[in-house]
Amino acid sequence: MIDQAAVGEEIVKGTKDVFSTMLMVELESEEAVLNQRLALQSNLSSMIGLGGGIRGVLAVHCPASVAKAITSTFLGMDVEELDEDVKDAIGEIANMVAGNLKVSLAENGLAIDLAIPTSVVGESFNITGVAKAQRVVVPLRMNGELFWIELMYVVN
Amino acid sequence: MGKNVLLVDDSSTMRKIIGRSLRQAGIDFENIYEASDGLEALEVLESKKVDIVLSDINMPNMDGISFLREKAARPGIKDIPVLMISTETGDDIIGEAKSLGALGSIKKPFTPDKVNEVLGPLL
Repeated sequence: MIDQAAVGEEIVKGTKDVFSTMLMVELESEEAVLNQRLALQSNLSSMIGLGGGIRGVLAVHCPASVAKAITSTFLGMDVEELDEDVKDAIGEIANMVAGNLKVSLAENGLAIDLAIPTSVVGESFNITGVAKAQRVVVPLRMNGELFWIELMYVVN
Repeated sequence: MGKNVLLVDDSSTMRKIIGRSLRQAGIDFENIYEASDGLEALEVLESKKVDIVLSDINMPNMDGISFLREKAARPGIKDIPVLMISTETGDDIIGEAKSLGALGSIKKPFTPDKVNEVLGPLL
């Protein structure tokens, strides 16, 4: 059994660690939303499949402005559009956030496997597909702008 | 003559970040070669003079563990040192990498100081 609130806290902690270490940016976080399907105002989502002790998806959902700001800070260059660099950069953020969650869950006796990240550009994403899944959505702010980390999972 | 490094990661962003971290850590390479998976890495090793490899583990086509296994079977390149840079930290997978010849690992996310601490003594 996984405590959803604790998972939300671990996602916040792990995401803040990724941003402070790799981008030198301190994030602000809001209270996690549990088991609600939200229509997130995202233009780019990077998803990474989870297997092993749980099955599901971890996703980073970003409005275009945030995705470009993250990529610009990450690469140290101006970014004008949601191109391959942006999809790759947000995918790598998803990979590192999932990696930190993997370490945290392993410390609690739950071993999980990570797939390769996939990024898609669109509008207002809504992830479905895992029956009876638990859902944790963590709102975060970078320089005041909102983006989200979503974990949808079923414990095997 | 300066040393050459090969960066192996399916993320072009991460290859750029690792290259930047090397420079920020004060580690100068004459050439920084790049590959997006183990298969490309083997091609580079067979065609270029490479002194050390920094490789991810989770990659499409050929992952880091399979790359180490294949490299170990090729006499011309088997002794080139490899350091893993990955989100993977589990004793099982890092232990497998080390058993196949990896000298150590750096966990993502990382700082230039961490890269210097682990890589510096190997150069």
